[in-house]
Amino acid sequence: MATSLIKKVPPEVKPSVIQPMLYKSVVTIYRIFAIVTLYVVLVGVLSYGFVMGFYALNTSWAAPVILSPTDDKSLDFTEKLVTSRQTLEDLTVDVRRLDGSVEEMNQHRGALLALEPELKAAINREKKHDQATGPQLVQLDKQKQADNLKTQAVMALVKEVEAAIDKDLSAGLITKGDAATQRAALNQAESSYTDSKISEVLLSDSVLEKTTTGTKSMDVLDKQAELASEIAQLDIAIGVAQKQIHEETQQINRLRQALATAKQSPYYFIVSGDNSVYFAFVPYDNQSNVSAGTAVYDCYLNMVACKKVGTVKQIFAGEQHATHPIFKTDIRGFLIQMQLDHPESAKSKTVFLNRKPLFF
Amino acid sequence: MAPVLVWLILFLCLLISIFKYTLALILKWSVPGATVKKDYTYQPAVSVLMPCFNEGKTVYETIESISKSNYPNDRFEVIAQDDCSVDDSYEWMLKAQRDFTNIQVRVGRNAVNSGKARSVCNALKLSTAELVISIDSDCIFHPDAIRELAACFSEPKIGSVGGRVGVRNPNESTVTAIQTFIYYTAFQVYKVPENWTRSVGCISGCLFAIRRELLLEIEPKIRSRHWFGIPVNQGEDRFLTHQTLLRGYGTYINNDALCWTTVPATLPELFKQQLRWRRSIVRDLFYTLRTLPKHVWTLHPNTVLTLVLTPLGALLGLLVAITMLSGNPMAWAGPAPLLVYLGIAAVLSLVIRKYSAREAINNPLAFGAYLAWSLVSSLFITTLALCTMDSRDWGTRTKEQEADDGDVTHQESAP
Repeated sequence: MATSLIKKVPPEVKPSVIQPMLYKSVVTIYRIFAIVTLYVVLVGVLSYGFVMGFYALNTSWAAPVILSPTDDKSLDFTEKLVTSRQTLEDLTVDVRRLDGSVEEMNQHRGALLALEPELKAAINREKKHDQATGPQLVQLDKQKQADNLKTQAVMALVKEVEAAIDKDLSAGLITKGDAATQRAALNQAESSYTDSKISEVLLSDSVLEKTTTGTKSMDVLDKQAELASEIAQLDIAIGVAQKQIHEETQQINRLRQALATAKQSPYYFIVSGDNSVYFAFVPYDNQSNVSAGTAVYDCYLNMVACKKVGTVKQIFAGEQHATHPIFKTDIRGFLIQMQLDHPESAKSKTVFLNRKPLFF
Repeated sequence: MAPVLVWLILFLCLLISIFKYTLALILKWSVPGATVKKDYTYQPAVSVLMPCFNEGKTVYETIESISKSNYPNDRFEVIAQDDCSVDDSYEWMLKAQRDFTNIQVRVGRNAVNSGKARSVCNALKLSTAELVISIDSDCIFHPDAIRELAACFSEPKIGSVGGRVGVRNPNESTVTAIQTFIYYTAFQVYKVPENWTRSVGCISGCLFAIRRELLLEIEPKIRSRHWFGIPVNQGEDRFLTHQTLLRGYGTYINNDALCWTTVPATLPELFKQQLRWRRSIVRDLFYTLRTLPKHVWTLHPNTVLTLVLTPLGALLGLLVAITMLSGNPMAWAGPAPLLVYLGIAAVLSLVIRKYSAREAINNPLAFGAYLAWSLVSSLFITTLALCTMDSRDWGTRTKEQEADDGDVTHQESAP
């Protein structure tokens, strides 16, 4: 049953005479290749283990970093730098403007303050004058009223005089000219009486003004209040402006400090267009081997046949994060500026600070 | 471009592996067709071939476990073939022959040390049974093992059937614990999709049942296996399975046919064993590449996938390990991967404890060692295997021969 499923397999090809030689050659070549490969693997494994161990224990390595103006960090730095500078300029202009405003307001306030005592003096003078002239005017007003009463009694006789004039004229006792003259005299008397009444009324007004607080006084007081208010408002405005000036001045100082710090950043060199500056990342574990002037070594295969290629010029304070060149883990550290005699060392995977890692 | 291509291939392999494992679990739990139909009334005559080399008393214990089989005693025989052991293995065979009279035990001995594969062929000469079961001489067999294997052959298209190999010494050392994980997942998960299409890529030589006619047909190929003129005595189980598949037969693992093997307990032994297995895998890849164009359209797609993917996975594992170590060597040591490892270890340990209490691992953290071993295995064993294809002396039981022809190879079988 099962044999029906069995498929025929072609018979084995009989080996030729040269086949053993061919096999022997292939095996020999294979063995050479295999031995070489295994030695390569062995060397590779040992090297890998050594490199791992070396970088796990070594505390003098640093990883050169080539910063570009188009890096994300550089672009971010540039953007912040430009924004900060713009803000600084805006604030400076604003502070100047505020200073001018405060000066102007102070002058105005001074002028108003100078006006206030004059106004008070004028008011006092008027008060004193009113106090002095008021009672006199009251007396004169009374006298005027009495005079007018007397004149009013006299004016009652004018009608009779006019009638007598007409009668005398009709009787031919007097001429028309005399009559006219007499009537004119009467009119003048009436007019004088009217003037006298007007004077009395005006005098009463004056008395009222002098002896009571009138609208005019209120206007003066209003002006005085307005003056005080304007001064108070100026005080507030000056206070606000001075506070703003203070705050903006502080902000300006902070920004100037930040910009001064930014000038110490490696990215400042990059965005400033200085391409001859070389940097390296130093992990905190290797911090003890870094100081300004420390020698920088570049090594063949990242660990042997090292030569001095420059010195550490500057140490930057800001923390940086980087990837370990061998273990590929995230590590914390800082950047240094290197003064390199051999710029190509900036492209090495690692350099060593202070000493050669393996003493050669 | 090249790294992208490598990563694409790796990603594809990972995807296929995930798919295969997920499919395995789905099939295992919900598809009855994934299991072969067993007919326990089908009881053909069986020859149990037991090649032996330097096993000592263990061979006696192995025959003893077979003698307790519940398969009809008159329907099976044990043919023990000693491959010129330098210890007292042969004497223990003869003692077993004398002691276990309830079954027929035949003992033979090779004229010269010939290796396991040829010892099986020599034992086959003494056999006349319809079904042949090749076993390792250091295994202990469940009484149902022969019955379970024979029942699967009621399906005419089945050519070879394997049993489930368990670990006798899971807690002897961390190394044995590692192998317990490997053996358990291999049989209970990895081979399930292959079982589904009856296209298991490698049946373990610990317990390998095959139709006699089929084995007779393949025997000349086994005897003539060579690598550029150098005889190949290793990996006969994978080779037999491959040959079975190429002849249009199905291959299957019956997890109810149980046997227990003592796995290497030290790293050097494990290294040697795994190197031999890997060599066999690599050799099989070359054989696959040579034969696949001819058979690709007649084989089941899953068979093709199994034959190609398993060895390719071993080679790609090497690339993965190199890429990982050169790219981000500490990535595997992060907290997230560690949690994943521990999670897998915990789940796997619990599963083994629940479903195979005999293999319960006392220290689940051994899974960590399994991962470390996987790295070493991927990185070095494949490379070494590729560079030692001409080797013949990596058997774990090789001892100094007092008089031999230098052709000495013996080994345990792959799961």
